[in-house]
Amino acid sequence: MRVVIAEDAALFREGLARLLADRGHQVVAAVGDAGALLAAVAEHHPDVAVADIRMPPTHTDEGLRAAIELRRDHPGTGVLVLSQYIETSYAARLLGDNAAGVGYLLKDRVADVAEFADALARVAAGGTALDPEVVSQLVRAARRADGLAPLTPRERDVLTLMAEGRSNAGIAAGLVVSAGVVEKHVASIFGKLGLPPSEADNRRVLAVLRYLGPGQ
Amino acid sequence: MGATGQVNPMPAGRPPGRRAAGSLAALASETVRAPLTARARRELLFCLAEVPLGLAVVAVPMALAGVLLTVVVAQGANPPPRPAHPAGALAIFGAVLVILLLVILTPRAARGLGAGHRQLAARLLGERIAGPPPVRPARGVVRRLDATLRDGAGWKAVAYLLLKLPVTVGEMYAVFIAAAGLVSLTYPFWWRLFRNHPPSVHLQPVPVLTPFGSFRVATFPGTFAAFAAGAAMLLAAPWVARAAATADCWLMRGLLGPGRLAQRVADLEQTRALAVQDSAALLRRLERDLHDGAQIRLATLAMNLGMAKERLATGGDPVVRELVDTAHRGAKDALIELRNLARGIHPPALDNGLADALATVAASSAIPVELTTAIGQRPAPAIETIAYFCAAELLANAAKHSGASKIAIEVAERAASVVLHVRDDGRGGADPTGGSGLSGLIQRVSTVDGRVQIVSPAGGPTQITVTLPLRA
Repeated sequence: MRVVIAEDAALFREGLARLLADRGHQVVAAVGDAGALLAAVAEHHPDVAVADIRMPPTHTDEGLRAAIELRRDHPGTGVLVLSQYIETSYAARLLGDNAAGVGYLLKDRVADVAEFADALARVAAGGTALDPEVVSQLVRAARRADGLAPLTPRERDVLTLMAEGRSNAGIAAGLVVSAGVVEKHVASIFGKLGLPPSEADNRRVLAVLRYLGPGQ
Repeated sequence: MGATGQVNPMPAGRPPGRRAAGSLAALASETVRAPLTARARRELLFCLAEVPLGLAVVAVPMALAGVLLTVVVAQGANPPPRPAHPAGALAIFGAVLVILLLVILTPRAARGLGAGHRQLAARLLGERIAGPPPVRPARGVVRRLDATLRDGAGWKAVAYLLLKLPVTVGEMYAVFIAAAGLVSLTYPFWWRLFRNHPPSVHLQPVPVLTPFGSFRVATFPGTFAAFAAGAAMLLAAPWVARAAATADCWLMRGLLGPGRLAQRVADLEQTRALAVQDSAALLRRLERDLHDGAQIRLATLAMNLGMAKERLATGGDPVVRELVDTAHRGAKDALIELRNLARGIHPPALDNGLADALATVAASSAIPVELTTAIGQRPAPAIETIAYFCAAELLANAAKHSGASKIAIEVAERAASVVLHVRDDGRGGADPTGGSGLSGLIQRVSTVDGRVQIVSPAGGPTQITVTLPLRA
């Protein structure tokens, strides 16, 4: 997998580059600001770009804006946004109405190396990786509105993992059940919530997110 | 005289009384030189400029009264063919209107004139007097009238214009002495040119004006008396001008300046705004330092520990594995704690404006929140921070005490202020004196002259409105 990293803190950038190299990925560029990120992606056409949200010069949301631009101009490149904070409004802006090849994770998640690598691979392959914190906020809001009342607790767990962008196999691994059980749960959830069944994972994520309503 | 207490850039001619008794010659030379100094010229010019400005106060109302009188007389001479009663009512109404108009206009006009006087003093005398604080803007006739009636600085300017009249007379006097002295000084020079008539022709003697009356000069030797009188007047004029100008400045400082209390209030307001801005900037910098320093280091540490853990998973000492595992978990926990701490110091989403930051607060609220934000221009960072923490505090309060099932937050911009309105459908009874978060919130809001209005009857609903200025 060919990766571009944009992160202004050299320490973290180098650590991330090493982590990816260790796992056999090729870091084609590691840059320190949003402008360099756009240039590097245009030059290298990587499978996935990892971008920090707060970068020079204003240290507010230039990474997010660059990520949105990348999603528009380079649909073949997955974009994984990392941040030390999760802002629901940022998630809504980043996703727009398309959950293909995009991720938004806390920087903490990098510490769980295997899970992070899995999320990155998912994004590179056109899937979705949403931070559990975003999903839990959305689920909480939906529960308050009684939108999840028909679901069993187990189905809620499945829904949460689905919203994070995981595949059936990923959900099965996370809940320690068989893939067949997960499939049954998913079908049941879609039936109860009246969502159109979908084969592609990212469509499925979008349907679930729409249902949870991240204020798009 | 010269000791006005202000730094005066003009070369100072010291008053004679200050000098040691022995230096009579120095005193004489100074007296002679006094009219020639730049300072004397400026003071005289000041008096000259002040005369029409000072007299305008009398002239304008008199002209107005004259016009009114003419109108009234013309009306009286030519009464309109109407029944008397409504005409009388109309006249009273008109009079009230005119008086109201005068009351509204007088302090404002006086402020304007006062500014002119101050400017003259600054330009010509180097006497810089700060202006009074501006009238607080008000809307509507009644409020404007109220603001005008309470406009102390405006009425003080009126007092200045009236009290200044005797000073204006003094200034006129100085100008007169200087002009008459100058004219008298010239008599010997032109006498021979124009008065070379044969002895048989009898011409009127020429009058010489002095402050103590006039005398007439009929012969050439007589012109020397006029010359002497002129010289004396020219020598005296600077001192009269200085006395008048000093008195004028004294009045200006007392009545046209900001006033000691008002000045103090203005100073305090300014320093408080600076303190509020400073603390907001400081907290923001602290958060940024944490973000770029400790947080990123800890995240990198957790990442490295994660990598080490992975390597150890395929072999290695189980004790080491357990230690690394514990360290890894500890680093992740510390990251979470640090993040919550930093968020409490300065929520980073605020950098993008209130709307984004409040969206996140609303999303993490335990009670469903309907959020509406409509702000045109961004408030000052300190104000945004206060508004944000108010909203967060009110949400937390509602979650703890209200038992509400939904909350509506509205943020709007109204007349140079941000209005945050939070409404829930809970059981009410919110009490700011009960040591709840509300009292802290009120304190926080009052640091920028904001207002908190709480309507929370027992049984609900609770409506809290926080009004903050756009700038601290």
